[in-house]
Amino acid sequence: MALLLGAGLIVKIVLLILIGFSVVSWTIIMFKFIQVQRANSESVRFMDFFWKSKRFDAIASQVDRFANSPLTVLFNEGYGELKKVVEGDGASEGSALSTDLGGIENVSRALRRATNSEITRLEKYLTFLATTGSTSPFIGLFGTVWGIMNAFEGIGRTGSASLAVVAPGIAEALVATAIGLVAAIPAVMAYNHFQHKIRVLINEMDSFSTEFLNIVQRNITGK
Amino acid sequence: MTTRPAKVDTGMGVSCIVSTVIHLAVFLLLLWWGKLFPVNMVVQETYYVDVVNLPVANPRAGSPTQKGNETEIAPPPPVAPVSAMNLPEKPKPSAKTAAKPDPRVAQSAAESSEAALAERVAKLERGLEARREDAVMERLRSKLKSAGSGKSGMPAASGTEQGSDYTAYIQSRLKDAFRDTISYSTKNPEMIVRLFIDSGGKLSRRISERSSGDRAFELAVLRAIDMASEKFTPPPDKKQFEGVFVFKPQGITTNRGK
Repeated sequence: MALLLGAGLIVKIVLLILIGFSVVSWTIIMFKFIQVQRANSESVRFMDFFWKSKRFDAIASQVDRFANSPLTVLFNEGYGELKKVVEGDGASEGSALSTDLGGIENVSRALRRATNSEITRLEKYLTFLATTGSTSPFIGLFGTVWGIMNAFEGIGRTGSASLAVVAPGIAEALVATAIGLVAAIPAVMAYNHFQHKIRVLINEMDSFSTEFLNIVQRNITGK
Repeated sequence: MTTRPAKVDTGMGVSCIVSTVIHLAVFLLLLWWGKLFPVNMVVQETYYVDVVNLPVANPRAGSPTQKGNETEIAPPPPVAPVSAMNLPEKPKPSAKTAAKPDPRVAQSAAESSEAALAERVAKLERGLEARREDAVMERLRSKLKSAGSGKSGMPAASGTEQGSDYTAYIQSRLKDAFRDTISYSTKNPEMIVRLFIDSGGKLSRRISERSSGDRAFELAVLRAIDMASEKFTPPPDKKQFEGVFVFKPQGITTNRGK
């Protein structure tokens, strides 16, 4: 503790920056952990419910139970677009079904847009974790280099290279690197973990989109 | 066209508060840990060996031996009995020779005077030899006496012999302590301090003869003196010691002239 308090001004500023990075990255880690966990668990439950249900309107009335799942967003978008297509076809041609694939394309675009929007939402703030993981050690290293420069200056002033003169400065300097690593290591680990989880969710969303389009094409167009 | 309501991510504020609390807790834990388990620096006894001015060891002290291996000092060699010198008998003048001065008698008198001279020279030589032997024996006895309590292996030097330098000893102790306390804020500060050490090895007085004008440096010097004075050994001959030391960031020098 004395090492932190006894450090020079520049090293203290570096330490404050690193502590700030650490606080923010842990905030993101906790937030993302809860978000991804909920998304995963509710997606599993939603898929069970989806395959058990026979009607889209029945599913649409229950999607609020799975509000944290990205699949419900996809379903809402796809179902909303499908309704519009069906309503538009009915109004223009008096038929409930469209035999061309224009309506399916619309639904597909809506699903793709919803998927992109969910990916953006899930990956939000992760760039900060990546930045913390990659830059914190260098910021800490800067503090260390500065502290060692001061230590060498002290050696030059006293004309003595004894441990009593050199060691305190170097110890203070190394604290900056240590805190940089403390901030960076969890950030990198969490970033990799969340990247993996989000990739799984993206695959699930792609699969769901394909399944949704297949169902729409089979049941509505009769193909 | 209907727009999908954007999902609002809640929980960021709560995460921020929790993260801040965790960091504060870690900080306090470190503080508490530092107080609970203070870093104990292992202070090892430092032995000072003045290579230049080593105390003169008694040659009879022998080589270092382990404890318990002390051998008894051999008894001094028996003193050779000094026999009383046989003084030459004085020539007894005979009444006859005195009464009758005879050329034979005169010749025999001359012979006897030569013999007496020879006797006298022999006597002087024997006396000289006896004195030389006495001196050698006396020297041996005094050496045996100064061999101390019989513990072999320790130099019997007391610090009073030629070669021991109490000032150098004090200087090295101060230098060692000063290395730990050194601190200064001005360029090349210099402080001169006169120290008085009583016969028990206790620092009795310290006088600042010249101030450096650097508060941090002066505090460092005083701290170094206090630290060093805890382990001073008594001066040789149990006399009060007085010395002037010049403290600089580069080290400590003595001012013997003052």
